[in-house]
Amino acid sequence: MNRKGRRILWICLAVVVLAAAVSQFLFFFRYPYFRRYAAENGVTLLEARRAWGHPSEISEVAMGLAVEAARENWDRVAQIASVDRKSEVGTYYYNLSNAMRGTLPDRLMDYYQPFERGLFLPVGEKSTPFIIACASDVWFALGDMSMAERDAMLGMLFSPSHTGPRYLRRLAETNLVKGDTQAASKYLRILLNVPSHRRWAHSRIPGSWSPAVQSRIEAKRALLPRTDVVHGMDQTQIILRVLLNSNPSNKMALDYLLCYDLLTKDLDAFVADFAPNLTSSVLYEEAILIFLASKGGMSEDNWDHYHVSPSTLERFNRFVTLYKQNDGAMSSLEEFRKTYWFYFYFASHNEKK
Amino acid sequence: MKRSKVISSLAIVVAAVAFALLSCGREVDVRPAGAGTDRPAEVFPDYREVTIPCNIAPLNFYYTDPEGRAFVTTFTAPGVSVKIRGREIKWKEKQWKKLLSAATGSDIKVSSSYRSAREEVVLDWLMHVSADKIDPFLTYRLIEPGFEVWDDLEIRERNLESFEERAISDWKHTQNKCMNCHIHSHARGDLSMFYLRGQGGGAILNRGGTLRKLTLKDSEMISPTVYGEIHPGGRYGVFSTNIIIPAMHSFGPNRMEVFDTGSDLCVADFDQNHMFTFPQFAREDVFETFPVFSAEGDYVYFCTAPSKKLPAEIDKMMYSLVRVPFDAKTGELGTQVDTVWNARTRAKSVCHPKTSPDGRYILFTIADYGTFPINHSECDLCMMDLRSGELVPMDEVNADKSDTYHSWSSSSRWFVFASKRGDGMFGKPYFSHIGEDGTVTRPFLLPQKDPHFYDNMLRSFNVPDLGDAPVGFDAQEIGRIWREMPAEQFD
Repeated sequence: MNRKGRRILWICLAVVVLAAAVSQFLFFFRYPYFRRYAAENGVTLLEARRAWGHPSEISEVAMGLAVEAARENWDRVAQIASVDRKSEVGTYYYNLSNAMRGTLPDRLMDYYQPFERGLFLPVGEKSTPFIIACASDVWFALGDMSMAERDAMLGMLFSPSHTGPRYLRRLAETNLVKGDTQAASKYLRILLNVPSHRRWAHSRIPGSWSPAVQSRIEAKRALLPRTDVVHGMDQTQIILRVLLNSNPSNKMALDYLLCYDLLTKDLDAFVADFAPNLTSSVLYEEAILIFLASKGGMSEDNWDHYHVSPSTLERFNRFVTLYKQNDGAMSSLEEFRKTYWFYFYFASHNEKK
Repeated sequence: MKRSKVISSLAIVVAAVAFALLSCGREVDVRPAGAGTDRPAEVFPDYREVTIPCNIAPLNFYYTDPEGRAFVTTFTAPGVSVKIRGREIKWKEKQWKKLLSAATGSDIKVSSSYRSAREEVVLDWLMHVSADKIDPFLTYRLIEPGFEVWDDLEIRERNLESFEERAISDWKHTQNKCMNCHIHSHARGDLSMFYLRGQGGGAILNRGGTLRKLTLKDSEMISPTVYGEIHPGGRYGVFSTNIIIPAMHSFGPNRMEVFDTGSDLCVADFDQNHMFTFPQFAREDVFETFPVFSAEGDYVYFCTAPSKKLPAEIDKMMYSLVRVPFDAKTGELGTQVDTVWNARTRAKSVCHPKTSPDGRYILFTIADYGTFPINHSECDLCMMDLRSGELVPMDEVNADKSDTYHSWSSSSRWFVFASKRGDGMFGKPYFSHIGEDGTVTRPFLLPQKDPHFYDNMLRSFNVPDLGDAPVGFDAQEIGRIWREMPAEQFD
């Protein structure tokens, strides 16, 4: 090859390298959460693309929710979830971010609610690996370390490399909260050998906790169940009631239980679980009114007992009037779209063939 | 010097520096270690004062003290002395074999010294080398403790005399099918079986290297066969059929509970493709499970318990160990049930009985309650001398975490079991020796080429099972059988 030929070859190579670099830069810029979620799963970008396919705007949002939730950046989670994309994962993190800020029931009806699957992601043979990877977050927040550990273990099981800091950190922390330092040390040791997680793991080595870590672990420990009940994996109400029996002041667990009752339209369970002195929301007032009306219990005593406000009662009466006038036509009740009454009467399961 | 020579010299220097940097690497961080962690001892695996067979692979290990330095370890046996410097002890195979050969029937004396943060540490310890060889093959299923689901399962066979390991069935060749653990009949490599579950699956029976795929179910059985064992004669298999329910504990050290809501016994005739079921062992109010044959094949041992309301009364579910005669001419189970270990009087529950091939012992697991103690930290191994009915002391063997899923070597001198000691989550294979006088020794962990292997292992060694020879098949052949071989029906 002569000198000119070599020059052309060098120029071509340089162009290819430059194009690849620009392409990678654009990729990072466009899909930052894909990259971070891949890192949390302990895989390279190439492996991630092989496992999950090419990222899209939708996957970027879902991964953004998962990544920010793992870091407990709840404001950021809420910000990403602010656009209702009618996805289970979107609703799950929308609800969780609201719960972490004490507004779960108040914001519940503002958003797409795929029944109970927006509160607790279904983990089973038909669940996607991504759904399973996210399922642990709500249990960890609620204080059920058994379920949080189980879902983290399953998330790791279905991750591309069967490991990953996302799961190892959760497994380490669930065991530290439970006081099982032997199990925790297994995961901490692995993380200590991952440079980007060394600092996190080091701060959690038993015996060398900072006041912040100590306080975090103790806060979680206060939520732990104190009685042993053997329950099925999907007996969500039982699990939440066990948490509440041990810690009646676990308001987040109470709200999750009440919202679960409401989203499954189990009003009997809702009334049995409802503790008006421990939590309140217009949502609960709306639900109580349906219950009282259906049971012939519309009395001032009951409204007082359940803290039903006059304004909610007035709106309910209008809802009932319009409902009756229009033979239950949904179109006539649009103004109530964000009420529990609307959900109760019109929400139905999408039957997938 | 010519320009090209300068460039090539520079390239060599750069490559050498890069190679040096890469090969040095960062030292493995061994923290956390010490009391309250899964690495409480000064060395891991803790091979101090263990008894090992004279044909075992090199026992590689490392020192766990994170602050330790200047490690020196000297191994001495009659006529041989080896000094190794450094935190990691990684043997050259020839060197190890020479040491082992010199110490067979006696001890390897080990002297360790290192500088910890505060003082000079000296440890003197022994490894006893038994002249009793262990069966050289071990099969196990590698599975994540993933509760009720699975992914990427495989059954592997490890050569215990080296670090060679191979897949005998795996997810790659079976489209990620569930597979249950592989069991030998009394440690025979030429007589073994395991299950491939789901579509295209069946019980894979290995008799003398001939593989068959069997549907071990008839219309009277409550489920396909689950737990069981092949008769020493090879014609029959005894099994339980179980309706298995997984559940969770909300609190306490036991994470998961698995219980049966029904279980019966049956016998499969592999020659006639016939299932025997028995009304006396198919009652709804009594559960029967984990059947195995006696060494001679004239009895079937199994666990049994009266049914309870589950899961509410799970802590009252106590299984006894019993035996019933088996007629190898007809395939029939008798009706006279003898109690070997009474759950009611001992207030414990039995599972996983395994008779030693010489017929002298029966090894089983005891737990506070239930039938699936792999997640019960209190679950321990228990051994009965069948000649006297006395229990053999097992204090050296058991730990504070689940010890179960055991099997015997063909000589009855060794047994292997899965222990979750340490982290409590991941089962690892430990081996113990039993002497002529019935003395059971401190177990040792399956050695690995990389002493840090178990630090990074996130899968359990499930049902480790010893074999006197390699099974005559591999994962590729199992894949072909799964795809192409129709399952034989039983009636």
